[in-house]
Amino acid sequence: MLDLLVIGAGLAGLTAALGAASAGRSVRVIAKGLGAPLWSAGTLDLLGYLPDHTPVRSPVEGISRLPAEHPLRQVGGVSAARAVRELAATLSAAGLAYGGHAQDENLYLPSAVGSARPVYAAPVAQLGGRLDDPAPMLITGFTGLRDFFPHLIAENLQRQGHAARAVLLPLSLLTDRHDANAVHLAQALEAPSRRQALAAALAEVVAPGERIGLPALLGVEPHAAVWSDIQAAVGAPVFEIPLLPPSVPGMRLVHTLRSRLADLGVRVELNMEAVAFGASGGQIEWVATATSARPLRHRARAVLLATGGILGGGFTCGPSGALREVVFDLPLTTPETRDRWFAPSFLDPAGHAVFRSGVRVNADWQPCDASGNALYTNLWAAGNLLAHADAIRTRSHEGLAVATAAAAISAYLAHAATFGRLPVAA
Amino acid sequence: MHTPSGHSISWHSVDHALDACIKCNICTSYCPVSAVTDRFPGPKYAGPQAQRFRKPDQLLVPDDSVDFCSGCRVCNEVCPTGVPIAEMNARARAQIAAYRGIPLRNRLLGRNELLGRVGSVMPAVANFALHNPLSRLLADKVLGIAREAPLPRWSESGTLGDWLRRRARASFGKPRPAADPAKRVVYFHGCATQYYEPFVGKAAIAVLEHHGYEVIVPPQNCCGLPLLSNGEFGAAAGYHRRNVATLAGFARAGIPIVGTSTSCTLTLKEEAPELLDMHEEAALTLAQGVWDFFEWLRVLHEAGELRTDFRSLPMTLPYHAPCQQRAHRVGKPALEILGLIPGLRVVESRARCCGIAGTYGYKTEKYRIAMDVGEELFAFVRNVACDQMGDVRYTACDSETCRWQLEHGTQLPSRHPVEILAAAYGLYNLQERKLT
Ligand code: SF4
Ligand code: SF4
Repeated sequence: MLDLLVIGAGLAGLTAALGAASAGRSVRVIAKGLGAPLWSAGTLDLLGYLPDHTPVRSPVEGISRLPAEHPLRQVGGVSAARAVRELAATLSAAGLAYGGHAQDENLYLPSAVGSARPVYAAPVAQLGGRLDDPAPMLITGFTGLRDFFPHLIAENLQRQGHAARAVLLPLSLLTDRHDANAVHLAQALEAPSRRQALAAALAEVVAPGERIGLPALLGVEPHAAVWSDIQAAVGAPVFEIPLLPPSVPGMRLVHTLRSRLADLGVRVELNMEAVAFGASGGQIEWVATATSARPLRHRARAVLLATGGILGGGFTCGPSGALREVVFDLPLTTPETRDRWFAPSFLDPAGHAVFRSGVRVNADWQPCDASGNALYTNLWAAGNLLAHADAIRTRSHEGLAVATAAAAISAYLAHAATFGRLPVAA
Repeated sequence: MHTPSGHSISWHSVDHALDACIKCNICTSYCPVSAVTDRFPGPKYAGPQAQRFRKPDQLLVPDDSVDFCSGCRVCNEVCPTGVPIAEMNARARAQIAAYRGIPLRNRLLGRNELLGRVGSVMPAVANFALHNPLSRLLADKVLGIAREAPLPRWSESGTLGDWLRRRARASFGKPRPAADPAKRVVYFHGCATQYYEPFVGKAAIAVLEHHGYEVIVPPQNCCGLPLLSNGEFGAAAGYHRRNVATLAGFARAGIPIVGTSTSCTLTLKEEAPELLDMHEEAALTLAQGVWDFFEWLRVLHEAGELRTDFRSLPMTLPYHAPCQQRAHRVGKPALEILGLIPGLRVVESRARCCGIAGTYGYKTEKYRIAMDVGEELFAFVRNVACDQMGDVRYTACDSETCRWQLEHGTQLPSRHPVEILAAAYGLYNLQERKLT
């Protein structure tokens, strides 16, 4: 029997699985589909803003100013930052280099509309866009490429006092196709001839001293080589700016984590939607997923729930209008009536109650009732389904996932160590 | 909307899923077809987006490109919100077929069973007639069946049915050990095993009998999948109705129905009832009683009943779980079972699709696309073979057309995992594809 079943293949689920498998546990990940990392910029954001929107310089210090019930506050700033740094190190060791976290402060990178985005750690190919670097930027786009408008980006950067100009190159440098999405373009650039053609075109437009900002298309699998080849051939620094989804940097992150997991013997099964579970004596005994016929039961000694919040699909809203947690029907902290979900103003500075709601956990990261008693003795939870977070507004999406996954896994391992292998209900 | 054969195409089971699409384009990023051709814009566009413009009684369809969807279901697999994109596309193809009619070529390719039966009358003649360069050229030019595509050969040593009849005659009158009534199983062979690859069926039956099971092979029809993927829903419904009539009784009696063709078992379980809206009790009972071969063996294994009297099979085996197997959503049980065989090192393919997708890669206008899609898998096999230096003699895959495509794309012989398993039990000669 499996030691741990992880439900959810987003950053929380994948890093939790990595933590448990590295500690020698047998783990399987099941998920409905690919998770939120493919919508993300591929950066590891820890805490960009406080809930009142004050910008955060040091996430470790900022976390200590979060409300007491905030999950990052529960992890603690130092531990949260350590969890992110450890993930960055794991990714770097697996060939997807991350950096920027050595300074232990947020750095600012240009977003796809040229705004300043606070991140804690970033893929090295994005770090060249640091906004504290005075070198002028040449933002380079491609005609007909949807979702990347270099002139808009450059103009916005200028408004914020950064030296930037824009240029458009023909899309035919990247592809012969009429239409291609970001992933297809990134795959096209894996061909050395395309890299050379792009580098030659860039060399013609770049001015001395400029650094070149490109849409994040520099290869999917052999990304490091694509990036360094182009940089070397142009003779100028080149950096990536993430696009709208599908996110190539997010895809690289997921692929790297999944291949680490495969090395550790962890299977990640997609298209497995949890439809039922069985529990007895306060223990989860099995979780069933839908198949082409009868449900398939997964039995494990322990379960970690990382299905994400409203965005990730961990919650659903039925016809009655009530929000539900989709796997175990765990109680949510969401206000009962819908009129209390939202503040009257769309851009209310305090955000909306519904996005702060979620699954309540106790000090051991176990879903619990209002007085802190675990609802199931062998269930843990991590990531964006946790209550009190509102990760998008505070720019803590990845940090929340990674830090709470690490904390939940150490709580699980401590539990398993204290009590031996969790007993299996007969 | 009614197809020429009067079957009505409904949308209600996919319509509610439209609003679940959050337009993230993850499906398009992983769709193996839109990755290699401009003729298919991708699942998001052909599926949930175009679906907004489709109505039950509308004759004109929003676009033709949905015909280039191979039906591999990779999109379903990765979609974070569970949109059944491939089903939407299948219904859209049926709507196009209903409006425009079905080309002769697609009618032929959809009629696997008929072709199998006709060719098996004089298989040697049929093989010669089909597999010579001139007729392949003609079929390409006149019908649109790609001349390079890996068409199967009719079995020249008789069909699986012939073998079963010979076996029954040989054992007639001989006392048989009284079978444990709980140990009975129905075998669904599918058309490919019946007419082209009877040895796969023999291996499956040998494995089942090795476990002390009495194997029942009732009369059966084509599962109807080739018709479904070519938009001929009416004819497919006829096949499925007959299968329900002959097989549901076994399911009702609690006798498992196991199949080695993973696309047939998928069709009996889910594709046919879902696409044809056949949700009556008998169809659902049948669906619940059908198992993909290794899915069922895994249950035996978990109950401690799988025999492990294996001989060693020292080799490296690249294994590709085909799209249809993955669409069962049961994991990859063949990996678990083959993993028990001593000496055998199974290497799992993570390629999305071999390209052939049933009848897709046989079509002249799609052959190139299918080969480009398959390149990911062929490259995987080449890399494993290259790393292992000669230790790779076969590939393995649970679907017949995918095996033919794999052989075509890699030049290595391909086997069903049950052939590997039968060989490990000492029941089967893997090279000659014969029972020992
Ligand atoms: S992956 Fe699913 S949600 Fe995303 S665009 Fe495709 S169908 Fe829509
Ligand atoms: S079924 Fe396959 S070919 Fe068709 S849209 Fe989905 S991924 Fe693409």
